[in-house]
Amino acid sequence: MIPERPMFWGIDYSWLFYVIAFVAICIFAVGVGIHISVWRKSKSKSNTSISWQAVKQSLLEIVSGARLFKGDIAAGTAHFLMFWGFIILLIGTSLLAVHGHVYSFLTGTTYLAFGFFMEIGGLALLVGITWSLVRRYVQRVPRLERRLEDAVVALWLLVIACSGFLLEGVRLAAQRPGWDEWTALGPMIAGFFPQAAARSIYPGLWWGHGLLCLAFIAAIPYTKLFHLVGAPASYYLHHSPVTLSPDPEAAFEPGVQWDLAQRAFLDACTRCGRCVEACPSAGAGEPLAPRAFVQAARQSLWREERPAGDIRFLLDLDPVEDRSAWFCTTCGACLEVCPVYAAPFEAVGKKRAMLIEEGKGVPDLMNQTLERLFNYENPWVSSKRDRAAWAKGLDVPVIKAGGNNEGFCYFVGCTTSFDDRAQAIAVSFSALLKQAGAEFGILGDKEPCCGDIARVVGELGLFMEKMENCTELLDKFSVSDIVTSSPHCFHTFLNEYGDSSFRVRHYSSVLKELLAQGKLRPQNRVNATVTYHDPCYLGRHNRIFDDPRQVIRSIPGVKLVEMEHHGADSLCCGGGGGRMWQGQDIRGEARMSEIRIKEARGTGAGILVTACPLCLIMMEDALKTVGYEGEMKVMDLNELLLQSLSNG
Amino acid sequence: MKEPQIIVCAKQIPDPEAPFSNVTVNVEKKQVAVDAPDVISPYDENALEAAIRIKEELGGKITILSMGRKVSDTVLRKTIAAGADALVLLEDPLFEGLDSGSTAHVLSCAIKKIGDWDLVLTGRQAGDWDSGQVGLIMGEMLDVPCVSLARSIKIDDGKLLVEKSVPVGYEMVEASLPALVTVSNEVGELRYVARSKMLGLLRRPMSIPKWNSKDLGCDIDRLKKLQLTELVPPADMGRQCTLIEGAAQDQACRLAEVLSELR
Repeated sequence: MIPERPMFWGIDYSWLFYVIAFVAICIFAVGVGIHISVWRKSKSKSNTSISWQAVKQSLLEIVSGARLFKGDIAAGTAHFLMFWGFIILLIGTSLLAVHGHVYSFLTGTTYLAFGFFMEIGGLALLVGITWSLVRRYVQRVPRLERRLEDAVVALWLLVIACSGFLLEGVRLAAQRPGWDEWTALGPMIAGFFPQAAARSIYPGLWWGHGLLCLAFIAAIPYTKLFHLVGAPASYYLHHSPVTLSPDPEAAFEPGVQWDLAQRAFLDACTRCGRCVEACPSAGAGEPLAPRAFVQAARQSLWREERPAGDIRFLLDLDPVEDRSAWFCTTCGACLEVCPVYAAPFEAVGKKRAMLIEEGKGVPDLMNQTLERLFNYENPWVSSKRDRAAWAKGLDVPVIKAGGNNEGFCYFVGCTTSFDDRAQAIAVSFSALLKQAGAEFGILGDKEPCCGDIARVVGELGLFMEKMENCTELLDKFSVSDIVTSSPHCFHTFLNEYGDSSFRVRHYSSVLKELLAQGKLRPQNRVNATVTYHDPCYLGRHNRIFDDPRQVIRSIPGVKLVEMEHHGADSLCCGGGGGRMWQGQDIRGEARMSEIRIKEARGTGAGILVTACPLCLIMMEDALKTVGYEGEMKVMDLNELLLQSLSNG
Repeated sequence: MKEPQIIVCAKQIPDPEAPFSNVTVNVEKKQVAVDAPDVISPYDENALEAAIRIKEELGGKITILSMGRKVSDTVLRKTIAAGADALVLLEDPLFEGLDSGSTAHVLSCAIKKIGDWDLVLTGRQAGDWDSGQVGLIMGEMLDVPCVSLARSIKIDDGKLLVEKSVPVGYEMVEASLPALVTVSNEVGELRYVARSKMLGLLRRPMSIPKWNSKDLGCDIDRLKKLQLTELVPPADMGRQCTLIEGAAQDQACRLAEVLSELR
């Protein structure tokens, strides 16, 4: 007897199965269609040509589950097992249909191999789903929610996996085929059933299992299972180089604009909570919950774009307080860990834009800061006249309009220009540049604000104005090469100005270059253990992790040690996202900067080095409030490097 | 009850929050030059916020009344963007530099000309001269109940309910309408007006009535200018920072010594 599985063995009305399958697939397709219709309402233009590079990258991430293993091997493995179990069983069942109706090939050894793989698939699914349930309901992993949808979806899969094995066992008990040693669980289950009993319960069991599976497929777009479609879309849109230039008119249109990729991200979210775990604001006991924000943003988008409402029928969400939007530092830690490349901080940004437009609930200090930014071109209580006050007596070249300006423009930035502590960055950087003989100039009191603060707090109209002013001024001074003090200005020029014609670098990259060219030769020993704090907008947002570290390593005597959170996992100082200008009514149980300085102290380092004016101010303050003065110093990268160069 | 008709008096002044370096004091000319954009006096913004909150609850109409010589409607359109409905400007060379009584007279004439009103709100004082008299004098001139230093204003069943700030807390004051209330900062800041809203508004044409002394029929003989007798500039606020080192106790002793030396 040749091993094979007769199609629809012992099942009457087998055609009915195909009718129901067709209906299930239609329900699935309608659901996916509704999602896509919401995505397509995006007004922004995106690339229409397919990027095969992005397809390749996405596929690789999907089959490997790499994003899921990151930072959580247990969750990654459980998902990997479920994912591959599901895929193997889906493909296997489809092959069975091909075998039965198109081309008969699942016989003999091929069938035995098929059975073996199906068994592996089933086991993977069973182990994966059980593990996930244990993590959620027994271990009660803190980041996991226990909502109705979570229970229904997981139990549904568990029942499908169990009933599949039960069905196999009952079938083997009824058929007694003699080649069942190829399967592991089947014969064990078969042992419990006498042949006659097995024959009588088999059809009922078969229909039950089949209907559960078909209903599961139909339910995909209507539950968090939609990530089966949403996540691949999200991966592709993340990797495909969609170039979006900010449309100046769009900023003056009422309402908040979501682009295609952002819409896909929202629908791909499975509420896994990795963002909550990574969020430094949530970690400091502040009321911000990135996950809740993504869900709330999704719901409000659906309400707006689809009058008939949301199709996620099992969703019960907690309301999100508007006030919590102001806590986000836009540090990007949430995006870093998100398995589907959702950026909760962007959802927060949209909420801020809505609140700014309504005008209500904007924190008082932020309200005043934006007025000041509009009136005086900086967020500090400072006059434009004093912008170059730090350079007094330092003989720093000033760029002249229409002049023949050699070298690059050192864009000092508002905070570095006006804050007493941060001015040290400008003073030491310009001293280094002069020692290296670099050609550069500053814009002096003509220097504008790049508009970063307006953008991150959601005042997009003001940002557009600042961007236009700034571009105009840089044109007037024929600036084509910019070096910034602040990673925030750097990021804004590089990524938010659209098609700008100038080159932008952060000072750390310039220092690295000058060292490599031998124009700066650190000679004085600086005997210190140093740790480096990655500024969010230099590291995570723009992937410059190594340049500042190379500069530190070039200094003789310095020993660089890393904190637990460094590089892409760096912790925010708490000064980004407009938080620097929001005062004390926005705070949690702990200060982010204090959490960070304690971590730095824990490495045993005597100096905490950073490369951002906001980080410098935040960490310096934390040093004082925690009481580490005298034990430890906070320095800018320029200050440290200058110590090994100056002969004084 | 009919929807309340509210008039908010708003004064345009040089930004009192202007950075210090933008302010120059000319003692001879008795002038303070502020190189800063004009803004609406902060307490008047509080008054507008209070008015908008009443309107949000009960409906009605908010009219902004502003007096001066070169009142900029770009500055005052912020009030429309925030939620006011109409703007009336009182412009006349005669209106420049008036004292509090005269200002109250002109504003009262304008309020009488507007006619239909239930509530007049003013800031507790203007952000430039800080006199704090115009509102109270207007209350007399209009012959209506007047409550000063409000930290919260409500209209309930045709009655006015005001929480009035006093040094040790607040008093609940009830008054009949029409009435006049001067508003304090505890009410809360004026809601933020997004630039996109401002620009959208500036692009739209808007007819703004401008009334002069003749239109108002005010008594020109009553208009008296404020006379500045002397202008004393603030002492030079040079900064000299000395850090006192040592243990806490030594630091405290040394600090006490330094302070007594400076006295």
